[in-house]
Amino acid sequence: MERMNGEPKALRNVLYWGLPVLAIGLIAIGWIAFSGSNPDLMPSPAAVWSRFIKTFTKPIAKTTLIGHAWASLKRVLLALMAAWAFGISFGILIGWNKKARAFFGSIFEVIRPIPPIAWIPIIIMWFGIGEFPKILLVFIGTFVPLVINTSTGIEMVDRINIQVGQIFGGNSSQILKDIVIPTALPSIFAGIRTSVSSGWTTVLAAEMLGANAGLGSLVTRGWQGSDLSLVMVAVITIAVIGALLSVILQKLEKVVCPWNH
Amino acid sequence: MPTEDNRPIKVEVKNLTKRFGDLLVLDHMSFNIRKGEFVCVVGPTGCGKSTFLNCLTRIHMPSEGDLYIDGVPADPKKHNISFVFQEPSALPWLTVADNIAYGLKIKRLPKEETEQRVNQILDLMGLQEFRNAYPGELSVSAEQRIIIGRSFAMKPDLLLMDEPYGQMDVKMRFYLEDEVIRLWKELGSTVIFITHNIEEAVYLAEKVLILTNKPAKIKEEIVIDLPRPRDITDSRFIAYRNDITDKIKWW
Repeated sequence: MERMNGEPKALRNVLYWGLPVLAIGLIAIGWIAFSGSNPDLMPSPAAVWSRFIKTFTKPIAKTTLIGHAWASLKRVLLALMAAWAFGISFGILIGWNKKARAFFGSIFEVIRPIPPIAWIPIIIMWFGIGEFPKILLVFIGTFVPLVINTSTGIEMVDRINIQVGQIFGGNSSQILKDIVIPTALPSIFAGIRTSVSSGWTTVLAAEMLGANAGLGSLVTRGWQGSDLSLVMVAVITIAVIGALLSVILQKLEKVVCPWNH
Repeated sequence: MPTEDNRPIKVEVKNLTKRFGDLLVLDHMSFNIRKGEFVCVVGPTGCGKSTFLNCLTRIHMPSEGDLYIDGVPADPKKHNISFVFQEPSALPWLTVADNIAYGLKIKRLPKEETEQRVNQILDLMGLQEFRNAYPGELSVSAEQRIIIGRSFAMKPDLLLMDEPYGQMDVKMRFYLEDEVIRLWKELGSTVIFITHNIEEAVYLAEKVLILTNKPAKIKEEIVIDLPRPRDITDSRFIAYRNDITDKIKWW
């Protein structure tokens, strides 16, 4: 079709490519204007860029920016793998089995509203400030959304789909595997997406408390050393990696749940 | 007079009774269905048709009496009972071909057999070109055809259909009615088709069972002795239709 909604197709393409560029452009202009008039509060883009280059020529704590990003990412990925394994299984268990829900449900409801960073003092007291407590903290932050999304997805399975399995003589485990889990997959995937973003947020909080490497440690270091350019470099890196993870997950969802456009 | 039917009895329903507490819904229903027979069940709204079906599929167990297939009590684990729901019930995460294969995979049929049956159904229904599409990408009527195909693919001992065309427009209904007849003739399945549409019943059935108002009993069995394809404007067709309409009236 040549025209949709009264706008020629070419114009629409330009518009929908152009608008995001415009938004970023406006932020850049705002940044330049603000940093120009308040250089103490906000470093200029040029200053941030040169600080960015410097993270490679003069590594911080003997680690380049890439090393710091990888340190954070590694913690998140390790915690996520554990959270996916336990969170999805636990979500399926309490979503599918009424007795398990009665037993674990109330405990989970109590633990659920506690923000992950509220665990920090307890975790530091128990496990110190090494690698494990950071990963544990990220695990806690990612486990909760996975369990909620998975169990809700499992509970919301259409009765008629389960009946289809029963009519064809499927046993309980076949119905769970062939009907219930696939129905819940989009919802499980929503949980995975939330877990990745909350994991990425939690790791920075964990690192800001004390770490030799990691983007969170860069933020703290820049903040304590009044090196706002370094803070900006770390923040922008965090944003870019977060956005990349989100894009990767979107693509992955299309592969895993192709029926769910 | 209809010619004598020599086909063996496939399904026997004896004294089928269902109570929910004090409420009697099905009252000692008895009838037989021959192998490969196409039976339509009609009855007034709310007469217990769904309960009747649910007893046949074992979603509910009957309070008294039972359903026998080939002389033994029906058992979904042993017998092949297939069901077409009124609502669309294709599994959205499976492609058309996988939906049709679904029941066959549960029954663990050999791969080649599954593949061959799926292809046969896809060919018969003209769905071959959509075999890799997801139900959500197709129309509601195509989805209903997938479900019907899925049930026929099982080569069921008994295929139950619960007003499968209840939500379709007339044109689509006519088309799908012919389709179901084609599948039935090709595969020789034994079918119980529930409908509230008397014209549909006369068009499809070899035999129509008329249910009474609740508690449901079998009021009458009418053999429809008309050649196929049937013509809904034919005077004998209309006579059957009017006869059944009169018998279904409870007012």
